[in-house]
Amino acid sequence: MKETEEVLRYLGYRGKPADERTLLTIESCISELRAAVTPRSLSLLLPVKFDGDAVLLGNLRVESRDLRNHLSGCGEAYLFAATLGTKADFLLERASKIDISRAVVLQACAAALTESVCDEAERELSAEAAKRGLFLRPRYSPGYGDFSILHQRDLLGILQAQKKIGLAMTQDSMLVPTKSVTAVIGLTAEQTTCHIAKCMGCKSLNCPFRKD
Amino acid sequence: MGILEDLGKRMVFFDGGMGTLLQENGLGPGELPELWNLTRPELIKEIHSRYRAAGADILTTNTFGANPIKLHGCGRSTEEIVAAAVALAREAAHGALVAMDIGPTGKLLRPLGDLDFEDAVSAFSRAAAAGEKAGADLILIETMSDTYECKAAVLAAKESTRLPVFVTMVVDEQGKLLTGGDIPAAAALLEGLGVDAVGLNCGFGPGQMKKFLPQMTQACSLPVIVTPNAGLPRTEGDKTVFDVKPEEFAAVMEEIAKEGAWILGGCCGTTPEHIAAVVRRCKDLSPRPIVPKNRTVVSSFARAVVFGEKPVLIGERINPTGKSRLKQALRDNDMDYLLREAITQQENGAHILDVNVGLPEIDEPALLRRAVMEIQGISDLPLQLDTSDPKAMEGAMRIYNGKPLINSVNGKAESMEAIFPLVKKYGGAVIALTLDENGIPATAQGRFEIAEKIVRTAREYGIDKKDIVFDTLAMTISAGQENAAITLEALRLIRDRLDIHTSLGVSNISFGLPQREHINAAFFTMALQNGLGAAIVNPNSAAMMDAYHAYCALSGSDEQCMDYIARYSAQKAEAAPPPAAGEISLLDAVVRGLKESAHAAALRLVETEEPLAIINTQMIPALDRVGKDFEQGVLFLPQLLMSAEAAKSAFEVIRVKMTVNGEQTKKEKIILATVKGDIHDIGKNIVKVLLENYSYDVIDLGKDVPPETVVDAAEEGGVKLVGLSALMTTTVSNMAETIRQLHERVPDCRVMVGGAVLTPEYAQQIHADAYSRDAMGSVHYAQKLFGGE
Repeated sequence: MKETEEVLRYLGYRGKPADERTLLTIESCISELRAAVTPRSLSLLLPVKFDGDAVLLGNLRVESRDLRNHLSGCGEAYLFAATLGTKADFLLERASKIDISRAVVLQACAAALTESVCDEAERELSAEAAKRGLFLRPRYSPGYGDFSILHQRDLLGILQAQKKIGLAMTQDSMLVPTKSVTAVIGLTAEQTTCHIAKCMGCKSLNCPFRKD
Repeated sequence: MGILEDLGKRMVFFDGGMGTLLQENGLGPGELPELWNLTRPELIKEIHSRYRAAGADILTTNTFGANPIKLHGCGRSTEEIVAAAVALAREAAHGALVAMDIGPTGKLLRPLGDLDFEDAVSAFSRAAAAGEKAGADLILIETMSDTYECKAAVLAAKESTRLPVFVTMVVDEQGKLLTGGDIPAAAALLEGLGVDAVGLNCGFGPGQMKKFLPQMTQACSLPVIVTPNAGLPRTEGDKTVFDVKPEEFAAVMEEIAKEGAWILGGCCGTTPEHIAAVVRRCKDLSPRPIVPKNRTVVSSFARAVVFGEKPVLIGERINPTGKSRLKQALRDNDMDYLLREAITQQENGAHILDVNVGLPEIDEPALLRRAVMEIQGISDLPLQLDTSDPKAMEGAMRIYNGKPLINSVNGKAESMEAIFPLVKKYGGAVIALTLDENGIPATAQGRFEIAEKIVRTAREYGIDKKDIVFDTLAMTISAGQENAAITLEALRLIRDRLDIHTSLGVSNISFGLPQREHINAAFFTMALQNGLGAAIVNPNSAAMMDAYHAYCALSGSDEQCMDYIARYSAQKAEAAPPPAAGEISLLDAVVRGLKESAHAAALRLVETEEPLAIINTQMIPALDRVGKDFEQGVLFLPQLLMSAEAAKSAFEVIRVKMTVNGEQTKKEKIILATVKGDIHDIGKNIVKVLLENYSYDVIDLGKDVPPETVVDAAEEGGVKLVGLSALMTTTVSNMAETIRQLHERVPDCRVMVGGAVLTPEYAQQIHADAYSRDAMGSVHYAQKLFGGE
C-alpha cells in the first residue's frame, strides 16, 4: 500500500524491508487514525498576477521568487488547506505517554494520512480544473524556499480556515492541529511534470523525503 | 432590560448574516470586516436598519473578530472598533436590543495550540467589557467550535460584564464540535457556567440543523437559539451563493420553533428577506415550554456522563494516599506516571477519573492545575477534582475543560461557604459528604438530615439538587460491624426521599481487614442494590469490575447482557494463550523488544542477582547492541524504541529492588525541552526514553518552553547537561536565545541540540556544545560528558 511505504520512509527505512511487527503496528495505527479522525479540507480559487518578483494572489501580495517561478504561466491558483483535526494530536500525545514506539509509528502514519487527504482533495480540484482544460501544479506551501512561513497567517485568514475547518496557527506560524497542510496550487493550461526545485529550495535538510 | 423576561412568552428574533452582505459590498477575502465599522459606518448601519425593518428583535454588532488577538497588527484597538460597532447598531435599533457579538479568537488553546487559557479570557474580557461600556444589551458568543475557548469566553463575559450571555456553537454533520465534543457535553458545560441561552449557528442550513435540535433541547433546560446558514455555500464564478431561499428557510424555521427553539435568526447567507420571512411565519407561535431535565451530568471536552443510566465508575488510582510510587512520582514532578494511571483506568472501564494530588509538602494548587491540564490532554473522560484546599479547587475548576465532578463539600458551614460559590460560578456536580461540625452521625437518619441541610443551603446559592451527589460515607466494618448497614440505609433514604444520586468510596469499608477485595466486591454489590449511583473504585481490580458487570447484567441495566457477554466471552477466547514461549533471557527480551518478557525476566533475575550486576551484564549490553544495530541501519527507529520500552519495563523492576537496597537508582540529571514556540515534541520524547534507559535522571520540561524556564531549572537543579529540540526554522531563534541565556547564567552547563531543521553547522552557529543527529547521538554525548562509555 502506498501509505505504508510512505510511513516506512518517514521512519527512516530508506527502502529497506520492515519487520513483521512494525508492519502490523503500522496497519493498526492507520486503522486507529482512520476510525478516529475527521479530515477536512477547503480551497479558494483566486486570480494570479505577477509584479516583478512578487506574486499577487487576489489581494494578497507575496514577495517570493520561488513561488513566482512555481506559478509561472498560471492565471489562477487555489489557496488550499487540509487538516486531520485535533483528534490526531490527541492520540499522538496519548500514545507518547504509554508506548513511544507506537507513538513514533502513529506520528508517521498521521503524516502519511495527511498527504493522502491532500491528494484526495486535490483530485477533486484537478477534476474541476480539467473541465476548463486546466491542470494543477504541485502544492507549494509557506516555508518552502523563499515563500515566507509568515504568509501562513494570510492563507489561513483568507480561507477562514479556523472557522471552517478548525485549522489555526501558533505565534510562530506553526499549523495547529499539527497534522495539517496549507498550500498554493497553481492552475495552468499546459501540463507540467517538473517539480520545480521544491526540495532544493527547502530548509529541512534532514527531511526523509528530501531529493537531492 | 426585558429580553430575559420575554423569553418563553413570545418568539424572539435575531438578525441574519453580516459577512455575506459585506462581501456583496466589496469586502475582500482576508480583509477585516470589523474595520468597516470605522471606514464604512453608513453601510453597516444600513444593514442593521434593514434587519430591524425585517422584524429582528436583536441586532448583532459587526464585531465577530473584534478581539485583541484577531485585531493584532491592524492599527485599531478592540475598544475603538467595538464602540463604533455598538453605536451603529444602537442607532439602527429603534427599540430593538443590541447584542455584542463575540466570535472565536482564531487560535487554538493549549495544549493543542499555544494560546493560554487565561490569555483567551483576557482577550474576550476586553471585547465584552467594551461592548457593555458602549451600551450593548447582551453578549452573544457565537460560532464556537471548541468547548475550551467557549468556556474562556463565557467566563470573560460573566467576570467583566453584568449582561446576559447567549452562546451558540457550530457542529459538523456528526453533531460534533471541531475539537471533538458532542452537543450533550457542550450543553452540560454551558448550563453549568450559567449562560442564559444556548444554541447552534452556522455550519449548515436549517434542514440539517433541525436534526440536532432534539439533542440540544434534551441535554439542558435552557432557552435554545437556532441561527442556521441559508444552506451550504457554493461558488458560482467568483461569487459565493447560498441555496436556501427566504420562504423555504422560514418554513423549516417554523418547524424548528415548534420543536422547542425560542430564539430564531440566521447566519451566513441569510438576508433581511430571510429574517422577514421567518418573522412572518413564526411571530405568532407560542414558545414550547421547557421541561426541567433534572439530570445529574458531568462532562469532559468530548463527552457527557449522565448519572442514573448505569452505575458510574470513578477511578480512584490518582490519589497518593497509601501509594508510595505515586507519591514519589508527584514529588519528582513525574507526570507521565500519573498519565499512565489515567490511561490504564480508562482502558479498564472507568467512566470518570478522580484526581487528587494532595501531599503535605507540595504546592497543591499548582500541581492540581498541572495534573488536570495534562490529563485532559490525553484522556477524554470527565474528571473528579478531589482536594480539600479551596484554592486548589478553584484553580482546577477554572482551567477544567468541561463540567467537573467536585470532591467534595460537606455539611459544615465553612465547607459549604467555600465550595458552593465555586460550583455556582464554574459549574459542576458536587459530591456532598453526610457529615458536619458534629462529625459523622452514627445513624442513617442522622446522615439523611445532614443531606437535607446541604440541599437547602445549596438552593440558597442557586444550586439545584440535580448537581449534588451524596456520599453517605463507607466506614470500615473492622471498627464497627453495623457501619455497612448504616451507610446502605442512608443511601436508600437519600435516593427514595430526596431523589438524589449517591456515591461511595467503596473500599473504605474493609480498612484493616485482610484480603480486602472480597469484602469490597461484596459491599459494592450490596451498595448497588441499595441504589448507589456512582462508586469510587479501582477499575484495575478484576474483582470489583466482575462485581460491577455481574450487577449490571442482573439488574437489567446491561441490555440483553450484551456488555457482559462481550467482556467475558472475549476474555475466554483469549484466556488460552500460546504456551509460554520458553523463558528468554533479559538481554534477549530487550534486544527483541518484548516488553512483557523483559518484565518477567527482570522479576526472575532480581531474586538472585544484584541490581547493578543485572544492569551491567544484561541491560547495558542489550541496549548497546540495539543502539549499534540502529546506527548501522540493521534495525530501525520503531524497533529501537520497542527495545527501549522493554528495557523501561525491566528497569521499573530493578529500580524497586535498588530502592529497597538503599542504592542510588539514577545517574546525572539531564534537562530536556522543546523550545518556546515549538509544539512538536515526539523527538524530544524519544531522546528521553533512551536517556532514561541509560539511567540518567531526565527532567522533562515539555514543549513550548520559554528560555527562562530552562535556565531556572538548570540553575536550581545544578544540571550539567541540557538537551533542546526545535523542529522549525522559526523556532531555532528561540533555541539560540535559550543557549545564550544558559551559557550566561549557568556557564558549566553543556547544551546539546537536535531537530529536523538543525545541522552540525547550524548548531555551531547558535553556540550549542553538541549536535545530535538522532536519539542515540544524545546518549553518546551524555556518556562522553559524564564518563561511562
